Amino acid sequence: MKKQKTLALVKMELKKIIREPAYLFLMILFPAVLTLVFGLAFGSTQFNYMAPGLFAYACIFIIMIVAQSFSDDREQGLLKRINITPTTSGEFMGSHIISNTLLSIFQVAIVAVCSLIIGFRPEGGATGFLLAFALIIVLSICSVGFGLITATVAKSAGTATGLSFIFILPQMFFGTFVPLNDATRMIAYFLPSYYATDALNLIFLEGAPLTELAIWIDLGILSIMSIVIILIGILLFKKYGKA
Amino acid sequence: MDNTDNGFGIVIKDLVKKYENIIAVNGLNLKIKSGELFGLLGPNGAGKTTTINILNGLVKPTKGTAFVAGYDVRKDINNIKELIGVCPQEAALYKFLTGRENLELFGNLNGMPKNKIKERMDYLLELLDFEEDSRRKVKGYSGGMLRKLNMLVALIHDPKIAFLDEPTVGMDPRARRKVWEFIGFLKNQNKTVILTTHYIEEAEALSDRVGIIDYGELIALGTPKELMEKHEAKNLEEVFLKITGRRILEGI
Repeated sequence: MKKQKTLALVKMELKKIIREPAYLFLMILFPAVLTLVFGLAFGSTQFNYMAPGLFAYACIFIIMIVAQSFSDDREQGLLKRINITPTTSGEFMGSHIISNTLLSIFQVAIVAVCSLIIGFRPEGGATGFLLAFALIIVLSICSVGFGLITATVAKSAGTATGLSFIFILPQMFFGTFVPLNDATRMIAYFLPSYYATDALNLIFLEGAPLTELAIWIDLGILSIMSIVIILIGILLFKKYGKA
Repeated sequence: MDNTDNGFGIVIKDLVKKYENIIAVNGLNLKIKSGELFGLLGPNGAGKTTTINILNGLVKPTKGTAFVAGYDVRKDINNIKELIGVCPQEAALYKFLTGRENLELFGNLNGMPKNKIKERMDYLLELLDFEEDSRRKVKGYSGGMLRKLNMLVALIHDPKIAFLDEPTVGMDPRARRKVWEFIGFLKNQNKTVILTTHYIEEAEALSDRVGIIDYGELIALGTPKELMEKHEAKNLEEVFLKITGRRILEGI
């Protein structure tokens, strides 16, 4: 895999976000507004318990951006054009994973800053943040996979936006900041965001040390889910989504 | 197998492409010499774009095969991708990037060294008189400008074989002339160029040889002069109308 091609695609993807007002809105304003609205609506004490879930939600939101971006590029013949160059699938998909993970990190940073402004005071220290960073990266990879699956099924960028909510909504309601009952917890066990939020809660709310086994179990399950979902996404998109 | 040894840039052998009940390419056989400017003509839906898409690896043939620069499209598509440049019918460009940024991106995707990209980009932009516009975002381009950039992106990496699918559609006569000059320049550089166009006078003026396909079959092949003599026509357009029209009348 050549770095040159992957980096060129990453640079292009990031320019797309910066230069397209719609993407920029989704990227910056949406997570910021969402965090502030939740902060104002629930007050700082209750918001404290919701903040780690909002971090996960910012990653989940990447699903929509990935699905739209791939569908747009397909509609404009750009995927075919790239496919004619000697760029490999690995370089192409790798660039999307890198650029969207960077976007995820950026979105989570926006949510984190807004949360801190509202009054969120996380436990965990620097090592906790490092582990949270790893969790966010893994969840972002998973979101890219869901985005690819959405783009494969969707026939246009507009449809992709709507369809992406099939993956966004369950993860949002059953795997992030919404309190769970026995029934919804059963569903949550099948959702990647549940494991990310659970680990983030342990780190930021309970100040669990890095030796806490539950965090590593969460990270392990999340990693396996992410690998499976990104592989399904890549295979489906390669086979049915490019044309 | 290496057909380039025989002096052929492209060799198509018994090529068939079926889409469910539709036969897009029907047993096509064709040899295009290295360094030749070949005009591939045919009515809408004749199978031109499918043939090009098979040659550049986007579509897999149902039967038969083709060799591009000696490489088999069924087995060696990665080697083929290193050697070809494809200008698609619809301009496929990143609209939020400038013209130069599009060229730079595709230079990188074709594995060109950084300094070569800039050198080649400046050279091509000057040739097509496109330097100033290339610094603007593609979003504001006119149809003609999009076409020009679409072609330059296909040629940024100086490919050995270029597929130009309707490169001048929607261009004003002045811009079209400029592109004709540019295509002539490619030929002088000994590139193999496959040109598909609906402007028959364009194919007549530029092509060394012309192939007319209809219903996925090659129905005429020769230099424009040979075809005009054979069909007792004043120009290539008349040849085209006679051949393809006759097939419609005869219900072939």
